[in-house]
Amino acid sequence: MIEVIGLTMRYGEARAVDDLSFTVRPGLVTGFLGPNGAGKSTTMRAVLGLEAPDAGEALVDGVPYARLDRPMRRLGALLDAGDVHGGRTAEAHLRWLARSNGISALRVAEVLDRVGLTPAAQRRIAGFSLGMRQRLGIAAALLGDPPVLMFDEPVNGLDPEGVRWIRELMRSLAAEGRTVLVSSHLMAEMALTADHVVVIGRGRLIADTSMAGLVAGFRSDVLVRAADPARLAAALRAHGATVTPVQEDDAAPGPGTAGPAAPGDGSGTARPAAPATPYGSDGGAALAVRDMDARRIGEVALAAGVALRELRPRAVSLEEAFMELTGESVEFGAAGSAA
Amino acid sequence: MSRVFDVIAAEWEKFRSLRSNGWLLLASLLAVGLSAGVTAMVVRGYDNQTPDERLSFSSVGDGLSTGLPVAYFVLAALGALSVSSEHATGMIRTSLVAVPRRGLLLFAKAPVVAGIGLAAGLALAFGMHAAAMAVLGGRADDRLLDGTTLGTTLSQPGVLPGLLVAGAAGAAAALVGLGVGALVRSTAGALVTLIVILFVLPGAAQVLPRPLGPRVGSFMFENLPEQIAHPHPEGVLGPIAALALLIAYPVVALTGGAAAIALRGRRFRPLAVGLAATVLLALVPALPSSASTSALTWSKCRGEVECATLAVPVDWARPQGRKITIRLGRLPATGTHRRLGVVFSIPGGPGGSGIGDLEKHGASFAELRRHFDVVSFAPRNVTDDGPDRPRAFSLDCLKTGPWIELPDDRAEFAALGERNRAAAEQCRRADPEYFDNLDSASVARDIEAVRAALGEARLSFVATSYGTVPAAAYARLFPGRVRAMYVDGGDGGRPEGEAEQRVRYASIERQFARFAAWCRATTTCALHGRDVVRVWQDLVASADRSPVPVRGRGVAYSGFDFKVAAAPSVVSPGPMPQAPRWHELAAAIAKAAAGDAAGFASYVEAVTGSPKPMSFRGMNMTHCQDGLSVGGYEGYRRLRALGEKVSPNFAGNELWHPLACVGWPAPVKNPPAAPPSRGLPPMVAAGSWTDHDDTAYLVRNVPGSSTIRYDGSGHGLYLSGERCTIAHANRYLLTLTPPAPGTTCAPPAPKP
Repeated sequence: MIEVIGLTMRYGEARAVDDLSFTVRPGLVTGFLGPNGAGKSTTMRAVLGLEAPDAGEALVDGVPYARLDRPMRRLGALLDAGDVHGGRTAEAHLRWLARSNGISALRVAEVLDRVGLTPAAQRRIAGFSLGMRQRLGIAAALLGDPPVLMFDEPVNGLDPEGVRWIRELMRSLAAEGRTVLVSSHLMAEMALTADHVVVIGRGRLIADTSMAGLVAGFRSDVLVRAADPARLAAALRAHGATVTPVQEDDAAPGPGTAGPAAPGDGSGTARPAAPATPYGSDGGAALAVRDMDARRIGEVALAAGVALRELRPRAVSLEEAFMELTGESVEFGAAGSAA
Repeated sequence: MSRVFDVIAAEWEKFRSLRSNGWLLLASLLAVGLSAGVTAMVVRGYDNQTPDERLSFSSVGDGLSTGLPVAYFVLAALGALSVSSEHATGMIRTSLVAVPRRGLLLFAKAPVVAGIGLAAGLALAFGMHAAAMAVLGGRADDRLLDGTTLGTTLSQPGVLPGLLVAGAAGAAAALVGLGVGALVRSTAGALVTLIVILFVLPGAAQVLPRPLGPRVGSFMFENLPEQIAHPHPEGVLGPIAALALLIAYPVVALTGGAAAIALRGRRFRPLAVGLAATVLLALVPALPSSASTSALTWSKCRGEVECATLAVPVDWARPQGRKITIRLGRLPATGTHRRLGVVFSIPGGPGGSGIGDLEKHGASFAELRRHFDVVSFAPRNVTDDGPDRPRAFSLDCLKTGPWIELPDDRAEFAALGERNRAAAEQCRRADPEYFDNLDSASVARDIEAVRAALGEARLSFVATSYGTVPAAAYARLFPGRVRAMYVDGGDGGRPEGEAEQRVRYASIERQFARFAAWCRATTTCALHGRDVVRVWQDLVASADRSPVPVRGRGVAYSGFDFKVAAAPSVVSPGPMPQAPRWHELAAAIAKAAAGDAAGFASYVEAVTGSPKPMSFRGMNMTHCQDGLSVGGYEGYRRLRALGEKVSPNFAGNELWHPLACVGWPAPVKNPPAAPPSRGLPPMVAAGSWTDHDDTAYLVRNVPGSSTIRYDGSGHGLYLSGERCTIAHANRYLLTLTPPAPGTTCAPPAPKP
């Protein structure tokens, strides 16, 4: 279990991490999400004691990492696959790591085998590809057979086969009952791996929820085009649906208003993004319908005698949900900010 | 605890799994090549020089000095890289995840790099030594003027410990590198810092003026091992101070490294501990040297010589009685090397001034002064005119005396005694108490008072000519205060008697034969082509029958007078091959054989102020109290008969000095006696053709002693700058190792 409690880290005036609290539980893959620069790596370095917090603390099984006896047997971590000396062989690198934590040298061969580096064991790391280095870093993390694992962007530089291998590895580690924290800036990747997500932006907690809960927070709607949108809207509303006129060029569904609440209440919630869709003045040709599924809309339309031109259920993508959640907190967005 | 060992073992794994470390260690063999190469250059220069010029070479020592900084640099670089390469590659983060305690991570590297530094340091030290000694070959044992040898092999004392300490300091060097690496973090920065510490600062110290430069150099890392282990190192620090500094270097560096880490981790305890340790260690070299606490006040007086005065009782039997003041002179140690103590130079005569010796012959002591203050004095019995002469007795009293003739019967013997006594009483009247205390034992007690005033536990001695008599008295009276004693061309302390006279006659006869041979071979000799021995013996025989006048002076030379006047010139021909005094003597003999002794009179008068040799009262004051005696009339007859039997050319000559003491009024206070066989360190005697055998007698009973025989004429070899003898003497004074038995020195071959 990893506990981050009120963690605050400053670089000069800037707050890289700001009063961040969350808990990573065993048996699950917890995704640690946020855009680049959100403070994920800083938080992970603080968990490992590589940086001293200005306030708060980060605990591993209730103890600061730096006070753990033989810490690699309690927590395995991959921060940056480049943090190795290229002059050593993979095996030598793992051997000194094993020695430093009183881990049997036999584990070296085991973890090399598990990450598929056995053929490269005697090669110097300088000649490794980024993917091989990632595997070596993962091998190092697994060396102490630790109950807690922490990976910072582990799929970087991996080919699709490697990415799938990582996914399966994370899942199997969690299935073994371990605590697994995996950071990523890619929601889609996490959607396939994580059971639980912690989302941060600008060093602050945005969401701490199960993956299902996150998805539920962004409900789907149904796009309806009808010959007489106004009549249909009235009929649908009469049957309890929420109907919003949609401009033709706006294809995206609006985020729901349910679920996400203010952060910091510790109830596993996500902050809502305000609906941004302007209401079309001409009534528009399309309606976004909520609180009613497509089959029922079809029945209401038939009853109301309105011909439907299009009836399309729309699911929000996790990526879009993520963008919505963190949109305000992106430090270095692609679009120019208020300049 | 086991965790600490795990981390150390992991650091060892890290070290040995990097091939670059092996290359670096291999590069350290450069130090061995450097030592061998520089030694080879020295050898090439050495072999091209004459044996005399070779004496001036600087010692290669154990052969480490050139290679050692390179070896230390490589080991320090290993230490620095063990940290800085982790920072350069980012591996430091991996290391810190494995070992989150930064202090533990740093100090787990310490035993690893120290162990490698130790092993490699020892291998390199012995490698450099072996390489340098192999290049030197047999030359290693060649003695140099400063008392060292060209090389120092393992058989010499202090060399093995020196190599061990120099090797072990490799561990300290590696730790310095580790600390610097942790402090600076960048490899380039760490290497530059180490270059400054190991090369730039020591180089800068060398260009500072003396003695500041060598003193500053003593504090440099690579110069510390020698000062810890070597009995007479180049540096000025004592062994404990040097050891403290050697420890302080890595402590300071590691404190800096730990401080850099602590400041990042915001923990200050290691910083405080390191600072405290640094301050404590820095205090050790700063502690005042407990070597000597002198009660004397020195001031510049003559050239380089510093002077001081000391009051001593005129009569050592009454220490609280009247005091006289004796003057001291000193050539201070150069301050460039560790000071080992005081060498006390006892002047000859009796009546010579040691201060004058320091002034005139200071160059002879130049090498000795690297490690010693050279101190001397104007003894209480000094007769040389000048500021040192005690004013109790007039110059006339000290520098004149009766002409001695060989008495032919008991009545003449008694009359000689009467004349001697009357002449002595004239002087004694001025200060009877002082007059009765001019023996060499009183002089020795004065030296002991000087030693106490200097605050020295022991003294080393260079005693010249008659100075060997107070030296022997000192050795007898204060054997525990003698660190070393070198006696040169002096009285062996054998009681005046047949044995003593046989030795002296044999010596002068051999020397006269050399004079005769020289004259046969030298066309410029006034007697060249004549039978010198025949001419001389005819002259002496005829003068004994009828003295040869000095034309126009109203004095005439007996055969005895001729012998007494000729003997000093026979003994000392002056610089060879010119031999000015032999030329002078041959001319004087030729002229005397023709009926005029003016040749003798002119050079005797130039030295003594008298046309015939005079028996100076100032000299006899000491001679007679030191028990110089013919042993009464019967003894005189026996000794005279002995001379006539064994010395065809100089019979009677050896009676001249003791006859002056017949009838002497002051008591014998210091009868002749050689130093005891127990309680003294090995001593060394040196002498020329004419004084070696007599001098050798002085040390014959002292176990371990040996002599240096100079195959040439001369007297007072050390003071006169005889370099081969000085090299042997300095070696003995420096290392307390007497020369091998049978050691000889030859005059340097004249330059073609």
